[in-house]
Amino acid sequence: MKLLRLLSWPYVRKHKLRMLLTLAGIMLGVAVFVGMHTANLTIQSAFQRTVDRIAGKAQLQVSAGETGFPEEVLERVQSSREVSAASPVIEAALSTSQGTLLVLGVDMTGDASLREYDLEGEDEDVIDDPLIFLAQPDSMIVSRQFAERTGLERGSKLTLKTMGGQKTFTIRGVMKATGLATVFGGNLAIMDIYAAQAVFGRGRLFDRIDVGLAEGVSIEQGTAKLQALVGPGFQVEPPQSRGTHFQSMSRGLTVSINLASLFALLIGVFIIFNSFSIAITQRCGEIGVLRALGATSGQVRRLFLLESIVLGLCGSLLGVFAGLWMARGIVPGLAGTLQEVFGHALSADEITISTPLAALAVVIGVLASLVGGYVPAHSAARVDPVKALLKGRTQVLSEGENRLRQKLAAACIVGCALLLGLGNRNEYFYPGYLLGIVSMILLAPAMSMWLARALRPILKLIWPVEGALAADSLIQAPRRTSATVTALMLSLALAVGFAGVSRAIYDSLLDWMNHTLNPDLYVSPSRSITAKTFRFPATMGDELRALEGVEEVQPVRNARVLINGAPVMAVSIDIKAITDRVRVRPVEGNREELVRLGAQGKGVIISDNLSLIRNIHRGDILEIPTPRGVLKLPVLGSSVDYSDQQGSFLIDKSLFQKYWGDDTANIFRIHVRKGYSRDRVREAILKRWADSHEIFVYTNEGIREYILKLTDQWFGLTYIQLAVALVVAILGIVNTLTVSITDRRRELGVLQAVGGLRNQIRRTIWLEAVSIGAVGLVMGAAAGIVMIYFNLHMLHRDLGGLRVDFTFPYAFMAMMVPVIGLCSFVAAIWPAEAAVRASLVESLEYE
Amino acid sequence: MSKWIALLLASCALAQDPRQIIEEVQRRNRSQSQRYEGTLTVTSAKSRVAEKKWRYERIGSFGDSKAVLRFLDPPEVKGVALLVHNHRERSSDQWMWTPELQRDRRIALQDRSTRFFGTDFSFEDLEERDVDQFDFKLLGEEKFDGQMCWKLESRPRQNKRSQYTHSYLWVRKDLFVFVAVEGYKVKELMRRIAYRDYENVKGLWTAKTMEVFDTKRNSRTTMKLEKLEYNIPVKEDEFTLQALRRPQ
Amino acid sequence: MIDLTQVSKVFAGKREVTALHPLDLTIPKGEMVAIIGASGSGKSTLLNLIGGLDHPTTGTISVDGATLGTLSDDELTRVRRDKIGFVFQFFNLLPSLSCTENVSLPLHLRGWPKQKTQDRAAELLNLVGLGKRVDHLPDELSGGERQRVAIARALSVYPPILLADEPTGNLDSTTGEEILGLIKDLHRRLGTTVLIVTHDMTVAHACERILQLKDGVILADRRVESPAAQ
Repeated sequence: MKLLRLLSWPYVRKHKLRMLLTLAGIMLGVAVFVGMHTANLTIQSAFQRTVDRIAGKAQLQVSAGETGFPEEVLERVQSSREVSAASPVIEAALSTSQGTLLVLGVDMTGDASLREYDLEGEDEDVIDDPLIFLAQPDSMIVSRQFAERTGLERGSKLTLKTMGGQKTFTIRGVMKATGLATVFGGNLAIMDIYAAQAVFGRGRLFDRIDVGLAEGVSIEQGTAKLQALVGPGFQVEPPQSRGTHFQSMSRGLTVSINLASLFALLIGVFIIFNSFSIAITQRCGEIGVLRALGATSGQVRRLFLLESIVLGLCGSLLGVFAGLWMARGIVPGLAGTLQEVFGHALSADEITISTPLAALAVVIGVLASLVGGYVPAHSAARVDPVKALLKGRTQVLSEGENRLRQKLAAACIVGCALLLGLGNRNEYFYPGYLLGIVSMILLAPAMSMWLARALRPILKLIWPVEGALAADSLIQAPRRTSATVTALMLSLALAVGFAGVSRAIYDSLLDWMNHTLNPDLYVSPSRSITAKTFRFPATMGDELRALEGVEEVQPVRNARVLINGAPVMAVSIDIKAITDRVRVRPVEGNREELVRLGAQGKGVIISDNLSLIRNIHRGDILEIPTPRGVLKLPVLGSSVDYSDQQGSFLIDKSLFQKYWGDDTANIFRIHVRKGYSRDRVREAILKRWADSHEIFVYTNEGIREYILKLTDQWFGLTYIQLAVALVVAILGIVNTLTVSITDRRRELGVLQAVGGLRNQIRRTIWLEAVSIGAVGLVMGAAAGIVMIYFNLHMLHRDLGGLRVDFTFPYAFMAMMVPVIGLCSFVAAIWPAEAAVRASLVESLEYE
Repeated sequence: MSKWIALLLASCALAQDPRQIIEEVQRRNRSQSQRYEGTLTVTSAKSRVAEKKWRYERIGSFGDSKAVLRFLDPPEVKGVALLVHNHRERSSDQWMWTPELQRDRRIALQDRSTRFFGTDFSFEDLEERDVDQFDFKLLGEEKFDGQMCWKLESRPRQNKRSQYTHSYLWVRKDLFVFVAVEGYKVKELMRRIAYRDYENVKGLWTAKTMEVFDTKRNSRTTMKLEKLEYNIPVKEDEFTLQALRRPQ
Repeated sequence: MIDLTQVSKVFAGKREVTALHPLDLTIPKGEMVAIIGASGSGKSTLLNLIGGLDHPTTGTISVDGATLGTLSDDELTRVRRDKIGFVFQFFNLLPSLSCTENVSLPLHLRGWPKQKTQDRAAELLNLVGLGKRVDHLPDELSGGERQRVAIARALSVYPPILLADEPTGNLDSTTGEEILGLIKDLHRRLGTTVLIVTHDMTVAHACERILQLKDGVILADRRVESPAAQ
C-alpha cells in the first residue's frame, strides 16, 4: 500500500493523460455493459410495472394469448368459489399528440374491488355520477398527469382517432397522480369496457380477465381450479407472466446486448493492457531500482496488480454513472422500436437502476482491469534489475512470446474447427465461438506486425521519410501498438458483425417481401402494422370487395398465442386465396399438400424460424390453445416467413373463426383489378371510410419501406457499437501515440535537427496514427467476417431461427475507411503538436 | 328492494320468535306486483346535491320476485335500466342495460357491495332478503323514533355473500314494518337506512320516505315514493333481458 | 560566417543555471574550430545555439547572413538543413533505416527527387568510405562506421557549416582518429566551416582555432599555428 502511494501516485500525476485514457477504457467497457443492460432492464421493468399496476390486486389473469376471447368466459370465472372478484379488461394503445395513450377498458360496476382508482375530489363523486359514466359511451377517466399535459379537466372533451374515425370523449373523472394513474408515464385513460369494445372494434371479446382469489385460496389452487374451469385453451397465470412473455419475445435484444457488453469489456481489457504494458516499459528503471533495493518479484507484481485494481475500481464507478447516463439516452429510442416491432405499448420514463447490476458491473470492471493488468504485472515482476538499471532501449516484444501466442492461436483455431465440426449443438457452438474470438485476439499482434510490414513499402513510396518512420514505429514497438490494434479490431469486428447480420437479414427480408408481399394495397386500422389496438369488422372485407377496381380482398388476422408457454404468432388467412397469389416455397413439406390440407384446415404451415427455434417439424402435432379448447393440428411443413421474431404459423381463417370466435381482421391485403390505377383505388378506399373509420392504406412499396425502416431501427444497435468502436479507436490511438512520441523523441529530434519541418514531423505522427487505424481496420474486417459467420449461426439457431445467407457489408466497410481514417487523424492531432513542441536539445540527448 | 319498501301491518301471534317476526313482516308486505316512481336526492358530505328519478316495477312476491328499475332523469341516464331476478336459495341475478351502448351487462356478485349508481344504496341493499339466507336473533325491545320496536340481529348464512357481517333491524311492534336497518362490517357501521312516512296503500303499510346514510362517506340519499300502486296488472315477460333491451 | 553578439543562455527551472555568460564570437568562413572545456562548461550549449537547436536567452546569433533569433521554427529548420550539418556523440542514426536511408533523410525532407537522392547518398557514402555497406542497418555497423554514416548524413547537401558534438567521444582512440581525419579531410576538400565540441585535446589540436570555455565564459581563444595533421 505504501508502495502504491510512494511509487504509483507520482507516476499517475506525471502521466495524467494516460491514466485518464486507461480510466476511460475501463469506463467505456463498464458503461456499455451498464448502459445496455440498464436500458433493457428499464424497458422490461417498465413493461412489468405497467402490467403490475394495471393488474392492481389481481392475483391471476385469464387470457388466450393476444387473441381475446368471448365474454361468456367471464361468467364461468365469476362462478368459481375460489374467485372473490373477476373483472374483464381490454387494453388498447391510442396514439395522440401527447404520445401513446394507454386505454384500459374495465367494468366500472365492480372493478374497484381489484383496482384502486384514487379518484380526485372526495371519493367517487369525481366521476360526477358513475351512472352517467356508464350510460354515456363517450365517458373517459384520465390521469392527472395526462389531464395537465393536455389541459383537460372534468367535463372537457377529448378527440381521439378510433375505429369509428375521430371520436370525441368526455372526461368524467381525473385520477390522482398515484398508483394506477402513474402507469405508462401517466398516459392512462379508463373507459367502460363495453364502450371500449365498440371503440376498438373488438366485437364481444375481452382481452383478459383479472382475478382476485377468495380468502385462503392459494395462487396454485386458484390456478388449477380456474384452468380446469376455463379449459386448456386459456392461460391462467399471475400478472408477472406477461412480463416473462414479453421477455421471451424480445430475447433477441437481450442476446445482442450481452454480446455487445462482452465485447465492450474485452475492448476495455485491451486498453488497460496497453496502458499497463506501456507504463511498465517506461517504469523499467524504477522497477529495477526497487528490485535492487530488495523488493521481491512478488511485491512488484502485487504493486502493479494493486494499481490495476484501484484503476479498475475508479473506472468502473465512473463507468456505472456513464452507463446510466447512456441508458437514459438509449431508452426512448429502444422503447419506440420494441413497441413498433412487437406491437406492445411501452413507456419508460425513468431509468431502472439496479444495484446488483451496478455491483456486478464494478466487479466485472475490476476483474477486467485485473485481467488487463495481469500480463504486464507479470512481466514487471520478471524485470531483470541489472538490465533495467542500464538505461535505454525500449523492450521489443520477444520472439518467443509471439511464437507461443501463435501456437496458442493455432490450437484455438483447431479447437474451434473441431467443436464446430462436432455437431450443431450449443455446447459445441458457443465454446467454438469463444475459441474463435480468442484465436483472433492471440493472432492480433502477429497480424498487426505483418500488416505494418506490408504497409511500410507503400508508405515509404509516398512519403519516403515520414511514411517509413511511421511504419517503423509500429514495427519497432509491437507492444505499444498491438493492444490498441486488437481493441480496434475487436470493436470493429463487432460493428462489422452486426452490420453484416443486418445486411444479411435485410437481403433475406427483401427476398421474402418480394415473394410474399405482393398485394397492391394494404389496409390497416393503425399507422403501425404491428399494433393490434384496432381491428376491422369482417363486414368491411365485403365492403372493400364491392369497391370498383378491387379484384380481391384477403383479410389477415394475427395475434400471438402461447405454444408450450412461449408466444408464437398465429396468422389467420384464407390459405387458398393467398396461395393462389403467392407461390409457397416450402422449406419442409410438399407444396401441393401444404396448400391443399392447409386450406382444408387439416393442418398448419409453420414458419421456418419457428421450426428451428422450437425444433418442430413436419408431421409433429402443434397444440394450439384456443378459447374453445386445445386445437391439435399436424404441421404440414414450413416455409420462410418473417412475421415474427419468435416464429409464426399460418392457420386457415375458417379454423380461426371457429376456435377463436373472432372474424375481425388486422389487415386487408388488396389486389387491384387489371386496368385500374392503384392510387385511384387507394383514394377510393380512403374516401369510402373517411367519415366512419380511421384507416391507413399502404401501397406495396409503402409497406416494404415500413418493414425495412423497422429493421433499420432494430439494428440501430449497430450504430452504438460503431460509436464505441470509434471512441476506442481514438482512445487507443491517443494512448499509443503519447507513448510513441516519448519513445521516438530522439528520432523526432534528429529529424528536426537534420532539417525536418514541423509539418513533416506532424505528418509522421499522423501517418503512424492512420497506419494503426488502417491495420485495425483490415484486421477488424477480417475478424468481422468471422463474427458475421458466428452471428448468423447464432441468429439461425437461437435468436430468430433465421436462415440467412452470408453477406459482407461492403457499404459499411467502405464507410468505415474514411471514418476510421478521420478518427485516427483526430487522435493524432494532440500528440503531433506535443511532438513538435518538444525541446530539441533535450530530445537529442534523450536516452 | 321491495323488502325495505313495502311493509304490512301486523297481526302478531308468535312475535317472540325473531324468524317469525320477519316472516310476518314479509307476509304483511306481500303483493302480486308493485309500481312507483322514486325521486332520489343524494346529498354528499360537501352538500352537493344530485337528483335522480326512476320508475320501479315488480312482479311476484318475496323469494322469486322480478323487478325492473328504469331511470327517468337526469337526461344523461334516461333509459338506463336494471333487471333483478330474486331467488330463494341464492343471491339475485342482476343485469344492467345502457341504451346508448345498446348493451346489457351482468352485475357480478362481487360487485354488489359497490354503490348503486351514485346513490348511497349498494346493489345488495336492493336485493330481497330471504329469511332462509339469514340467521336472526332477537336482541330485545326498544323505542325507536317514538315507536316501540323489536331490535333484531341478522347474520348471513354460508350460501349468502354479503358485504355486511351483520345487521341490526328495528321492527315496529304495531305495524310489523321496518323503521331502521343498520349494516355492519364487524364493528363498524357501514350504512343506516331509515323508513319514514308510513302510509297505508291498498292495505299495505308503506314507507313513503327512505333515507340511506353512508357513514364512511358521510353522504345521504333520500328517496321519496310517488305514484305508488300495488297489485296492478303487469306481464311476466316484461321482466326479461329481451324486454329490457326493448326501446322504451 | 558565424557571428555571436552578447549571447547568453540561462536555463530556468527551480534553480536558475547560467550556462553561458554573455559572449561575443566570430568565426570566419572555412575555419575549423574546437570548443573545449570540462563537463558543464557550456560548450555543448554554445554549439546548440549556433546550430539553432536552442534559443539564446539574450543576444543575437547570425549564421551565414541569417539572424536566427528573428526566424520562425520552420525558417530556422530551413537554415539548419541548408547551412548546417550535425554530427552527434551518439550518432543519432535512426535504427530502422539503412545507411542509405539515413543519409538520404535530409534530402527526402527537402523533397529531392528519388533518383537524385539516391545518387547523392551513394556519393556521400563513398566519400566517407562506406560505399559497400549501403544497405546495412546501423545496428550492424561498428561505432566508427556509424559515425561515418552520421557524417555523411550531415554533409548531405554540402552545408557550409558542420557542427560536431563530441564526434569521437563514443569511439575508441583509433577509430576516433579515423573520424577526426575524415572531418579534417572534408574540411580541407569542401571548405566547410567546422565546429567541434570535444574534451579530447588530440582532437582540439587538430583544429585551427581552439576556444576554451569554463563556467560559461570563454577562457581562451587561441589559434593553433600548425594543426596536427592526421
